[in-house]
Amino acid sequence: MVKKQKAKARDALLGMIKEQQDSQGHVSREAMEHLARSFSLPLGEVYGVATFYTFLSTKSQGRHVIRVCQSMPCHLKDSGQVVDWISQELCLEPGQTTPDGRFTLEVTNCIGACDQAPAMLIDDVVYGGLDPQKVAQILRSMD
Amino acid sequence: MPVKQLLSRNCGKIDPRNIDDFIKAKGFQSLEHARSTMSPEGVIEEVKKSGLKGRGGAGFPCGAKWELARKSKGPNKYLICNADEGEVGTFKDRYLIQNDPFSLIEGMAIAAYAIGAAKAFIYLRAEYHYLKGLLAGAITQSEQKGFLKGLDIEIREGAGAYICGEESALMNSIEGKRGEARYKPPFPPTSGLFNEPTIINNVETLANLPLILGKGAAWYQKLGTGQSKGTKLFCVSGDVARPGVYELELGSSLWELVDGQAGARDIKLVQVGGSTGRVFPADRLDTPLAYESVLGSGAVMVLDQSRDVVEFVHRTMKFLNEESCGQCAPCREGTEVMVEILGRLDAGQGVPGDLRTLEYLSQAMMLTALCGLGQAAPLPVLDTLEHFRSEYENRIGQAVFIRSLKALGA
Amino acid sequence: MSATKAVINGTEIKVKAGTTILEAARQAGFEVPTLCHHPELTPSGNCRMCVVEVEGSPRLVASCHTPLAQGMVIQTHSDKVLAARKAVVELLLTAHTGPCVNDSRASACELHKLAAELEVGPPRFQVQAPRFYPVENDSPYVRRDMSRCILCRRCVRACREVAKKGILSMAYRGFQSKVVFEADDPLNSEQCKDCGVCIEFCPTSALSKPVEEVA
Repeated sequence: MVKKQKAKARDALLGMIKEQQDSQGHVSREAMEHLARSFSLPLGEVYGVATFYTFLSTKSQGRHVIRVCQSMPCHLKDSGQVVDWISQELCLEPGQTTPDGRFTLEVTNCIGACDQAPAMLIDDVVYGGLDPQKVAQILRSMD
Repeated sequence: MPVKQLLSRNCGKIDPRNIDDFIKAKGFQSLEHARSTMSPEGVIEEVKKSGLKGRGGAGFPCGAKWELARKSKGPNKYLICNADEGEVGTFKDRYLIQNDPFSLIEGMAIAAYAIGAAKAFIYLRAEYHYLKGLLAGAITQSEQKGFLKGLDIEIREGAGAYICGEESALMNSIEGKRGEARYKPPFPPTSGLFNEPTIINNVETLANLPLILGKGAAWYQKLGTGQSKGTKLFCVSGDVARPGVYELELGSSLWELVDGQAGARDIKLVQVGGSTGRVFPADRLDTPLAYESVLGSGAVMVLDQSRDVVEFVHRTMKFLNEESCGQCAPCREGTEVMVEILGRLDAGQGVPGDLRTLEYLSQAMMLTALCGLGQAAPLPVLDTLEHFRSEYENRIGQAVFIRSLKALGA
Repeated sequence: MSATKAVINGTEIKVKAGTTILEAARQAGFEVPTLCHHPELTPSGNCRMCVVEVEGSPRLVASCHTPLAQGMVIQTHSDKVLAARKAVVELLLTAHTGPCVNDSRASACELHKLAAELEVGPPRFQVQAPRFYPVENDSPYVRRDMSRCILCRRCVRACREVAKKGILSMAYRGFQSKVVFEADDPLNSEQCKDCGVCIEFCPTSALSKPVEEVA
C-alpha cells in the first residue's frame, strides 16, 4: 500500500518539471535537486525525465522559443527556407539563443499544422502559411 | 457520395466554447440515452455490434478492448483519451478538439460508463498546448450541467515526444516517467496506468461514440466495408491544392481523396498513415482506404513528380531516429544505422551492397523491436524499395561512376 | 497454481503458470541466449537477444518477459530466430568503440561471447559517429568506460534492486541514451561506495574495478 502511494506521488513529476520550464525558461540543476528531494527520488531520475522530452531544456533558453516544423509536410513547403529567414533576421542558428535573450531558435518535428505548412510554433502559438514578410512581421511584434 | 458529415457534423456549425450550442445540436442525448436505458454491458455490446475500431493507427476493435477492461478486477479503472497526435501529417484530432470538443467529452463519458471508470485523463501533446483552455472549458461546462455525474476528467500534457502516442509510453508519461514503451503482455485493459485496468482510445474513436449510441449500431455498421465500419477523418498534406481534413466513408479510394477532394496533380507517391505509413505509387491509387488495405492514423501525404524518393525516405528515417525512445536495441541502433545508409545514398555516396543491407536490417527490426515504432520504422524503406527501386539503384550507379572517374584522376 | 502446457522445439512441456518462456525453455534444457536479462533482476526486455518464434505470431517474442501461454508452440533456434539475433548482435557491436579484443578487461564480455557463438563477423553496418565518452576514473570504486556500454540497464536495475541504492538512472533519448549518475556527473564516492554490485552485473567492460594504469 505504501508503495502504491509513492507511485501516485511520482505522477506529478513531469508536470512540475514543466512548470519550472515555463516559469524559468529552463530546468536548472537547483530546480532538479529541489524536485528530487521533494519526490524522494535520486537526482538522476529527475534528470532522466528532464532530458527525455524535447520541450524541456536543462540549459537556459530565450524569452520566446521558436520551433520551426521540419517534418515532411512542412519540408515539402520549404520549411528549410523558414529557418533561413529567421536565421537572417535574428542572426542565429538553430539551437542558439540571441545575445539579448529574446529568442531561442529550434527545429522541431511535426506540430500538427500540416494544413498550414510551412508552420512554426512560437511558445504556444501556431503561425502557418509563412513567407519572409510574415516571418519578419511576427518576429518584430514580439517583445 | 463518399464525403460525409457525421463526425464533423458540428464542426464550424457550433461555438466550441458554448455548451448550449452543442446541446441544441442534440449533444449529450446519446450519453443520457445510454445511462438511462442501457447497462454498461449493453453499451459494450452495442459498440461491438457497430464494428468500431481504433482510429489512432493500430485499429483494434473497440468493444472487445472495453470488454477486457470491464471484466478486469480492480477498484480503480482508468480511461485515457490519447490526444498525443504526433504522427507526421496528422491533425484530425486537433480539428475535432478545436471545432467540437463536447463530442469528445460525451464520448469519454460513454466509454467511462461502459468500462466502469471514475477517473479519466486526456493526454494532450505539448505542441497542442493552445487547445488546453478550450478543452478545460468544455470539461467544466459539461460538469456544471451535470453530464459527467462523478466522472473526473483531467488534462495531462506531454512535453515533446512522438513515442508518447504509443499507449504504454503514454502511460509512463502520465506516471511522471520517461516516455519509454513497456513490453506486452500485460496489456493495458488488464494492467495499465498505475498497474490498474486501463482503456486508451484515440480522440476520433471516442468522438464516434455519440453517433453510434445515438443512431444505433445497426445504422452505423451499414457505413463502410466488411471490416471497416463508419467514416474516417483524413488529413491531406503535401503537394495538393487543398490540404485539410476530409471526412470520407471507409472504403473510399485513395484516388477519390487526393485527386477528387484535395486536388493533387502529377502524383509520384502517396504515403498513408504517417511516418511509418505505407507508400503507394501513382498507379496504385485505386487502393481503398480501409483497415483491410491501408488506413493508419488517417494521414495522407502527397509527393508530386518533382520529389526525390531517397531524400523523402532519408528524412522520414531521421524523424524516427530522433523520436526513438532508445530503450530497445533494434530500434535505437537500427534507426541510427538506417540514417547512416540512407544519408549516404541521399548524398550520392552509396555502395552496391546498401540495398541488401537495408533489407536485412529492416527484417530484423520488424521482427524484434519492442514496440510499434521500431517494428514499423522499416516500412517506408521496404515500400519504396519495392516501388521505386530503380531510383535507389540509379543513385548508387551514379555514385559508383563518379568515384571511378575520380579514381582514374579524371 | 495451475500448470501451463506448451511445446518447445518439438518437446511437450508442463510448467507452473506464470513461468516465462525463457525459464520454461531452460527447464526443458534449451539454452536461449540473453544479454539484458539476469535471473536476479526484473526483466527489462531491451536487448531483444532472447527472441523466439511463437507459432501464429507475426513477430518474434522476447522470451525473458513473455509468460508461457497454454498451447504455445515455440521454436528457440529456427533460422528466422538465429538471423534476427545475429542482426541484433551486429547492431550492438556497430556503435561500440574501442579495441576490445586487445583488452584484458574484455575477456569476460558477454557480447563478444555471443558474437562468437552466433558466428557474427565484423558488423556490416556503420553509424555516423560511434558512441564515445571519455573513460571516467573519478571514483575509487568503479571505473566507467561508457563507450563500451550496450545500454542493457543491468547496472541500473542491480543498483536499485540488489544494492538497494538506486543511484544510477537512464537519461537522454534514443541513440544518445546513457546511464548516468545524478545530472550526468562523475560518480562521487559519497553516494557510490565499495559494493561493486554494478560491476558484477555489467555484461561488458563498461564498468570495472579501477586498476593501476599501465604506461
